[in-house]
Amino acid sequence: MVALAAAIRRLDAPEAVTRDAVGFLAEFGVAGPDAQALLARGSQRFLIYRTLVHNRLRAATREFIPRTAARRGKEPFIADFAAFMAEHASTSPYLRDVPGEFVAWVVPRWQADASLPGYLGDLARHELLEGEVKNAPGGGESPTGSPLALDAALVFDGSTRLMQYGWAVHRLPYATDDRSDPEPEPTRLLVYRDADAKVRYLELTPWAASVMATLAVGNEPLGRGLSVAAQALGEPLDDDKLAKAAMLFAELADRGVLLGAR
Amino acid sequence: MSNPSSGITGVGLGLRAAFIERVERGEADGKIAFLEVAPENYMHRGGKAPRRLAAIAERFPIISHGLMMSLGSPDRFDDGYFTDLREFLGRVDAPWHSDHLCWSGIDGVLLHDLLPVPFTTASAIHIAQRVREAQDRLGRPMAVENVSWYLQLGMPQKDEPDFVVEVLERADCQLMLDVNNIFVNASNHGFDPYQWLAKVPLERVVQLHIAGHDRWEDDLIIDTHGNEVREEVYDMLAWVIERTGPKPVVLERDSDIPPLATLLEEVARIDTVYQAAVGRWQRQQGVARHG
Ligand SMILES: [Fe+2]
Repeated sequence: MVALAAAIRRLDAPEAVTRDAVGFLAEFGVAGPDAQALLARGSQRFLIYRTLVHNRLRAATREFIPRTAARRGKEPFIADFAAFMAEHASTSPYLRDVPGEFVAWVVPRWQADASLPGYLGDLARHELLEGEVKNAPGGGESPTGSPLALDAALVFDGSTRLMQYGWAVHRLPYATDDRSDPEPEPTRLLVYRDADAKVRYLELTPWAASVMATLAVGNEPLGRGLSVAAQALGEPLDDDKLAKAAMLFAELADRGVLLGAR
Repeated sequence: MSNPSSGITGVGLGLRAAFIERVERGEADGKIAFLEVAPENYMHRGGKAPRRLAAIAERFPIISHGLMMSLGSPDRFDDGYFTDLREFLGRVDAPWHSDHLCWSGIDGVLLHDLLPVPFTTASAIHIAQRVREAQDRLGRPMAVENVSWYLQLGMPQKDEPDFVVEVLERADCQLMLDVNNIFVNASNHGFDPYQWLAKVPLERVVQLHIAGHDRWEDDLIIDTHGNEVREEVYDMLAWVIERTGPKPVVLERDSDIPPLATLLEEVARIDTVYQAAVGRWQRQQGVARHG
């Protein structure tokens, strides 16, 4: 099993097995009749599961991030995926988690590669979001029934995600053959699943995003959270900010995203 | 373990995302006996998919067929997976749960495929012990499915049917018999599918799978579930049903999925073969009773 897993995962497996399949198996202590049985139909047949596994998982991933995969290009995407399989691979029993596992692994590598467009990682994270929020195990919880209070944390719908991008990737056309560049523009999105199970996107101002980062992600109590959110922007917590926070809460409550105080 | 009698018989369909909406709208009503679902598609998941399944489960009996138990793996079972699976089986009131005679991952990495196990006694003992543990954890009977395999994972001590029998007896579990997989293996490895069938205890068959497949290379067909069922596979289905009597039979389709209406026509064709075989079984029973 270890030898077959290595043939499926290792980056050099196709080359190593083609060159010396017996030597490849010997590395895993597989020799004699066991090696003969594995190689009975030739070394390329030994690689069939590698082809099947990569094709299946890569296709599932491409389905979740079609525009990113198209912009990356066919062969580079295949190579990225092979490297992901070799260095990390999936640890989730759910096939629908594989695209997210791949994106989490590949984005830092894409960002470190100056030859790639800087927005590619943001586009991947953005495309992935639709599936992630659509299928999030949380979401659809009932309102807490408690009114907002300064000393209590807020409760948000379990499908809620806060995203920050360096590029306005959310405004790119949906066509997979589109190659236009997104605006280099700091972008903050609140994403959630509504009562009809549709994924909804809200563009946030820097202030609203800072509030959501401390309250929804950081779980701070409301009063303290607002101070921390203002500090994070290096700005005072003035009446204008309080009024805008109140408007944000009203809109989010209206949309069923803010469920009340804990 | 006694044969779980759910009362579910006839021809059903493997539920897929491609047509779940149409099934929910009632387009399969009266045309299939039940639905088989892959629990992994609904476990640990919110939103529309589990909601749709709940609505569908009100109208059809549900049979559960998993993909990721990884019975042949040396890795420990994933506690979270079993907790979610047990909860799921309760939710759809599944009479049993089946998974494959394969492994899907090792050393904590999951490869999301049905990988072959060695046909040895050590492997049968390991799998049988895992099946027993799974039955305990799930609180339901388990059935294991024979898979399509493209490699011998090491020198076999026995042939595949002997291996399957050893697992069934050691685990005292049911067989989820996939006749297409036997056909695929017979064609790839050059054996007679009926000799395979003759070796397994048909009284342990709790359910059947039927599907199509694709030619990959001259000497290799792959169990893609991406094609119509072949004549030879219909014949094998009939051969089994003639001997077992009524069982649930599932049409599986996973790639190049045609419109639901086309799949339902195929279900109807399978049902014609199935009913004729049940008729022959009934006549046999009559002969046995009176003669
Ligand atoms: Fe099957």
